[in-house]
Amino acid sequence: MSTLSRDDLAERLVAERYFADDGLITAVHLAKTLSRPLLLEGEPGVGKTEMALVLARALDRELVRLQCYEGLDASQSLYEWDYPRQLLELRSAETSERGAADLYGADFLLERPLLRALRVDSGAVLLIDEIDRADSEFEAFLLEFLDGFQITIPEIGTVTPTTPPLVVLTSNRTRELHDALKRRCFYHWIPFPDADREREIVRARAPGLSERSAAVLVDAVNTIRGLAPLKPPGIAESVAWAQGARTLADEGWEWADAMRAAIGLAVKHEEDLALVDGHDSQVYST
Amino acid sequence: MAAEHRVPAPRLESQLADHLHGFLRDLRTSGLCVSTPKQLDFLHGIEIGRPNAIDVLYWIAVTTLTSSLRDRDVLDPVFARWFTDESIPPSPAPEDGPADDGEVPGPVGRDATATAENVDPRGTDDGLEPSAADLEHRRRFDVAPRAALDEMARIRQLAPTVIPAVRSYRRKPSRRGHWLDLRRVCTLARRTQGEIIVLRRRSRPRRQRRVLLLIDVSGSMKQYSTAYLRLAHALIAGCERAEAFTFGTRLTRVTPALRTRDVDAALGSLTDLVRDVDGGTRIGAVIDEFLDNPRYVATARDAVVIVLSDGLERGECQQMHRTVRRLSLLSHRLVWWSPLAVDPAYRPRTRGMAGILADLDALAGVDDLTSARTQLERLRATCTSERHHIGERRDRIPETTRSAS
Repeated sequence: MSTLSRDDLAERLVAERYFADDGLITAVHLAKTLSRPLLLEGEPGVGKTEMALVLARALDRELVRLQCYEGLDASQSLYEWDYPRQLLELRSAETSERGAADLYGADFLLERPLLRALRVDSGAVLLIDEIDRADSEFEAFLLEFLDGFQITIPEIGTVTPTTPPLVVLTSNRTRELHDALKRRCFYHWIPFPDADREREIVRARAPGLSERSAAVLVDAVNTIRGLAPLKPPGIAESVAWAQGARTLADEGWEWADAMRAAIGLAVKHEEDLALVDGHDSQVYST
Repeated sequence: MAAEHRVPAPRLESQLADHLHGFLRDLRTSGLCVSTPKQLDFLHGIEIGRPNAIDVLYWIAVTTLTSSLRDRDVLDPVFARWFTDESIPPSPAPEDGPADDGEVPGPVGRDATATAENVDPRGTDDGLEPSAADLEHRRRFDVAPRAALDEMARIRQLAPTVIPAVRSYRRKPSRRGHWLDLRRVCTLARRTQGEIIVLRRRSRPRRQRRVLLLIDVSGSMKQYSTAYLRLAHALIAGCERAEAFTFGTRLTRVTPALRTRDVDAALGSLTDLVRDVDGGTRIGAVIDEFLDNPRYVATARDAVVIVLSDGLERGECQQMHRTVRRLSLLSHRLVWWSPLAVDPAYRPRTRGMAGILADLDALAGVDDLTSARTQLERLRATCTSERHHIGERRDRIPETTRSAS
């Protein structure tokens, strides 16, 4: 499995309908082969999280997901002891007069995502999503884990994986990540795709869309991005827009009208909607 | 698996190896400090990736050697110099800075321009370069008189009582709380043979909301800026999480400078930092700059935002209206303190101010520390009552029929 070449990887991603550019494929390939965590940054909706989901399918690995949020701590991300069970065990051992089992054995360990990712025998894909939402204390806590993919549990010892997990971190850059964290990761910035690639993506994700309709829609999305809106629509928005408009088109709407009606799937700010309305002829030029 | 790949040195042909090491050395002298493990990763990456095209080699370099998008500004020209003749298409390489030490293109010079551009992309044509005129501003911030110091002490004490608090998401052990602290309960129970004698609890501790101060230091605010900066100093000292920015023609984050304990020293250090004192005002453009920076935006999200400005916009008002609306949506409460509003006869009739009333939670007059303290006391009511904007939205975006036309 570790001998998967770069081209094979690219093929498998395409088979899973993820169209990555050369840079991203190289980054994923190196992260996997050299077993390093991969930090993905980019505008919202360019497919950072999707990358990890697709990778798990493409490599046929289990996906373990850790969604970060403020206040996330070790007991929610790493492991926790099953305290009620421990107590019950104590009490039942007392009444049955048999020796109590080891209260700090594997039976009483509740695994949380980070530990889970180490214990998958065939190697997992671990997605640490939106790391910038967690506070910096958590970031510091991650350092040991990212360094050698191992976790030390005082009562048990060090847990090392049989196959190291492929770790993907994503960040929306709402705050600066610590250098120590960045140093341990490979870094890749996912840009907006070029029009050709985006057409491919849209057609793969909204099946049954004609080439021409996809081209019109992608041109419209690119025009909107060029208008400097508050939130430039990402690929996720293009795909949603295509799917929404296609549903209407199937009911007999003209394509341009269907796109107009479904604009709310691509543009989600009142100001941006007004902006698009003001440039109607540019955006919907067919 | 990791160890397997890290131990043996890459077997590269010596000539190629020299070229690669030269590239890495050049990278370091150009200002991108790449640690040895990262360099090893780069070489291993080449061994594994077997790049058959320059593009692939480029992406291997980007993945292993950079750790932010900005690093590419350094990497791209160096890479181009060593491996290609023309610049790399994916992201345009910046021009080399002036050569200042022999044949190596000056990394320091380039770095310096890069940071300057990050601070203000509009360059220097709006007179932001430090000049002799700046020296005069050294005298601007007088030594704070006794009365001001007393007033600041009162504000410091007042601040924690008026800034609203929210519950933190991290549960901490406490005497009473909604959650049982199972870990502690069980640890204690084991000492008593599994008998639970006392319960321990966890709660979400209270934490002050962020406070964000945006202080206008333009020419029209000249006589008030000193008091405003002292207010900011007091609030930064008195609140858990306060941030302060000054603006005139550009935006400057002054929080670190104002953390200095001595107020005169703190204000003194601003002289070098804030370069646009007593200039024009471009409120819209400056708030736009603020909103463009994701890290700055994070300081405004769910915060009590206080803008200290007369709202006399020199730029186009449309931009100011738009950006203030966004700021209002981001914030918990948006309060505008203007020195003009001290006058009871003041009516916000200028185009700039009239357009933003619908986004403000309060508009009040503040021209010195005493009036600031009065308004701070009122802030408590503004923050605890239901959100209510003071103006009516007049320029509402018309409901358009987006269905089939």
